[in-house]
Amino acid sequence: MSHGSVAVEPGSSAHVLVAEDLSKSYGSRRALLGLSFSLRAGRILGFLGPNGAGKTTSIRILTTILEPSSGYFVVDGIHSRHPERIRQRIGALPESLGFHRQMTGLECLTFFGRLYGRPAAAATAHGMELLREVGLENRAKSSVGSYSRGMRQRLGIARALVNDPVVVFLDEPTLGLDPRGQQELLALVRCLARERGVGIVLCSHALAEIESVCDDVVILNAGQVVATGTVAEVLGNVQGQSAKRNAVRIQIVGSQIETARQVLEALPSTGDIAPVNGNAGWLRVELLDPTKALPSRHLNNEILNALIRAEIPILAFEAEGGRLHDVFLQLTEETIQ
Amino acid sequence: MIDIPVQPHGKQSPGKREGAAPVWWIVFTRELVDLWVWGKALVLILLFSLLLSIMAYMLASNSELNLIPPKEMVFLTLQTSIAVSLFIAVIIGADTISGERERATLESLLLTPASRRQIVVGKFLAAASPWPAAMAITIPYLHVLAQGDPVFGQGVLWGVILGTLLVPAFAGFGVLVSLWSRSNKTSLTVSLVVYLLFLLPTQFPGNAQTGTMGRFVKRINPMESINQVLQKVLVNNRTIDEMQSFLLAPVVFLLIVLGLLFLYAAPRLNLDGGTSMLSRLRWSRLAQTILAASLLSLPALHSGLAEETAAREEAAETEALPLQIAVDMEHRVIKDGKSVYFNTKVTNGGTEASPPLILAMNIINVDSEGDVVDPEDWSPVRTQYIDELAPGGSASHAWRIDPIIEGDYAAYIVVIPEPESAEATTHPIASPAIHLTVERFVRINPGGVLPYAIGAPIVLLVGIALVYRLRYRKT
Repeated sequence: MSHGSVAVEPGSSAHVLVAEDLSKSYGSRRALLGLSFSLRAGRILGFLGPNGAGKTTSIRILTTILEPSSGYFVVDGIHSRHPERIRQRIGALPESLGFHRQMTGLECLTFFGRLYGRPAAAATAHGMELLREVGLENRAKSSVGSYSRGMRQRLGIARALVNDPVVVFLDEPTLGLDPRGQQELLALVRCLARERGVGIVLCSHALAEIESVCDDVVILNAGQVVATGTVAEVLGNVQGQSAKRNAVRIQIVGSQIETARQVLEALPSTGDIAPVNGNAGWLRVELLDPTKALPSRHLNNEILNALIRAEIPILAFEAEGGRLHDVFLQLTEETIQ
Repeated sequence: MIDIPVQPHGKQSPGKREGAAPVWWIVFTRELVDLWVWGKALVLILLFSLLLSIMAYMLASNSELNLIPPKEMVFLTLQTSIAVSLFIAVIIGADTISGERERATLESLLLTPASRRQIVVGKFLAAASPWPAAMAITIPYLHVLAQGDPVFGQGVLWGVILGTLLVPAFAGFGVLVSLWSRSNKTSLTVSLVVYLLFLLPTQFPGNAQTGTMGRFVKRINPMESINQVLQKVLVNNRTIDEMQSFLLAPVVFLLIVLGLLFLYAAPRLNLDGGTSMLSRLRWSRLAQTILAASLLSLPALHSGLAEETAAREEAAETEALPLQIAVDMEHRVIKDGKSVYFNTKVTNGGTEASPPLILAMNIINVDSEGDVVDPEDWSPVRTQYIDELAPGGSASHAWRIDPIIEGDYAAYIVVIPEPESAEATTHPIASPAIHLTVERFVRINPGGVLPYAIGAPIVLLVGIALVYRLRYRKT
C-alpha cells in the first residue's frame, strides 16, 4: 500500500474497505485531510496517531456517523452515498460504548439483532452463538451492569458482529483492561479476522499491541496520513530513510552496566553511549558513520561479540527504529527522550 | 487507485427485515421496558396519583361544605391531571435522546441501519406512554367526585380527547429539544422552562386573564385553551361547537411540533446533537434566565393588579338616610360544616319612603393573622333586595352562613340605598356584627373519596415493589 493509491496484489483476498481522499473540516479547522487506504478481507489494519490526529473522526466517517467533507469510501462494494446499506455491512465497537446496564447480554444482542432485521427468535439464537464465540455464554442472562470491563468489551465485540459484518471497527478495544484481558481480547480479534474472514480496523494507542496483531498500518498525524502499508513496509521505509536513527539499544543486568559501557567504548564503530532515560539497565549505543563503514548488521554483530567475549549477559538487543514505537514517534515528530 | 466494483445501489442485505418487527416497534417496546420497569415512569405515576389523591380529598372536603359543585370538581381534577401529565411527558421526552448521548448508548443505535425517523418515533411513543396510565388513574377519582352527575361521562370523554391532543405535543417537544441538546441538563432545563411558560399564564389572577392581552394569551396558549374548553363544556354547559376556536391553538401546536420532529429533526438525528445554528445559542443559560425572570415577575404581577384594584375602589361621599338595621343574634360558637341561621330587620325611621335598598352580607376575620374570608364560599345568598320602605315601615330577612374555616369572625349586613343616578353615590348602614367562633369539625371520609385517595397510591406502590423485586432477582 502507498499513500494516496493502493496497488492490488494479484490473487490476494478482496478489498472490503477502500477509502479515497477522505477529508473533514469543522468550520475552518481541518480534522482530516486526504485519507486513503484499503483493507482486505481477513486482515487487521492498525490505525495509529497521537491524540487529535483524526483517528476518531476517520472512524466516525467510515462508520457513517459523520459525513466526510470530501472524498468517499466503499465497503464491500457499497459506496458511501448509501450509509444505511453500509451500516448493514459493518460492525463497530466505539471507544466509549455504553450499554443499558439493566439489560442482560443476551437481551442486548437480541435487541440489536432485531434492529438489523432478524426476527426475535432468530436474533436470540444468533445472540447466543455470538456470546459463545466471545466466551460469555455463561453470563448470557446476567445484567450488563454486573459485567467486568473486559466482559463488556467482549460483549461490545459480539454486538459489532451481530449483523455478520465484512468490516469491523474497534476503537481502543483494550483500553482499561488488565494485561491478561488485553491478551485475551487481542487473541479474539485475531481469531475473528482469520476464522470469519472479517476485515478489522483496530484503532489503538498501544503500539506493541498493533505491532503484534496487525497486518497493515495507517499512521495519522495532524489529520494527514504519514505512513501506510504492511507493518514490515512501514518499518522498512522509515528505517531506510533514517540514517540519524542508526543506533541500538541493549538491556544488560544493572550491575554490569559500567563494564559494558567500557567494553563498548573500546570499539571503533561506536559513538555516544548513554543510559536510556526511564529504562533502568538499558544503554543506547550510537553507531559511527553507517554510510561508509560496514553494513549496520555487521556492526551489530561486532557489538554483540564484544559483550559476549566480556561475559556480560545480554537481556535484550534491538535496533533503534526497528519497532513501531520508534516509527510512530519519529513520524509524529516527537523525540524518544 | 484501486479499481473496486461499486454496486450502483449497494448490495441487497441478506434477510433484510423479512419477518422482523418494524424498527419503531422494537425501539418503542425497548423504551417501554426501560421506562416502566427500570426508569422513572412508575415513580412519576405514583407521585401523580398522590397529588390527585390529595387534591380529590381536599375537593371532596370542600364539597361536603357545599362549596364546589361536582361539575367544577371534575373540571379541576381533569385540569390537574392533564397539566401533570404534560409535565411527565415533557421531562420523559427531554431525556430520551440526550440521555442516551450521555450514557454513550446512542452511538451503537446510530450504527445500525435502522431509520433515524423510526428510532425517534419509537422513543416519542414511549415518552407519551404515561398518559393512558395517568388517565386510567384519574377516572376513578372523577367517578367519585362527580357524585352521580352526568358530568362524569363528559369529563372522561373530553379529558381523553383533549389530553390526547396535548400530551403528544408536549412529549414531542421534549424529544425535539432532547434531539438538539448536547447534554441532558440543557434538554431538561429548556423543556421545563417552556412548560412553565405555558403553565404560568393559566395561574395568573382573574384580572390578568381579561382584556385584549389576556384573551389573546388564552387563545394562543394551548394549555390555557384546553382548560377553557374543559371548563366551558363541563361547568358552563357550553357545546363543543361554541368552543371550537379554542381548539385551534393545541391542534396547531401539535402539528408544528410533530412536523418539526418527524419531518425535519428526526432524519438528522446525530451523535453530537444540535444544529449549526441552534448549537451556537447558549440554550441552557437562556432557559435559566427566562425561568428566573418568570418566577420573579409573579409577585410583581400580583402586586400591580392589587394596586389597580385598589385605585378603582375609591371611597365616595355619601348621603345619610334615617335607616336602621337590627340583627337577632349577638354571638355563636359553631363547628365548621354546620350552618348558622339568623334574621335582620330593616326599619325606615324617616318621614319619606326609602329608595330601593340592597342588603349585603359581609364576614371578616377578627384575627389579623387569619385568612381573609370570601363570602361567596360562606353563604349561598349574600345579597337581598327591598323595593322601598314606607316611613316607619320595616322588612325582615333570613340569612344563612356556612362557616368553612375555624377561627373568630364578625358577620354583619349592610343596607345600601340604591344610587339615584350614574353620578350619585350612596351611604351604606351596617348592622351590629355577630361574633362567630368557628371550631374545627373533622370528617375522615368526605364524599367517600378516602378509599380512592389512599387506595390508588397503595396499589401503585405495591406494583412498584413487585417490579423492584423482579429487578432485584434479575440482577
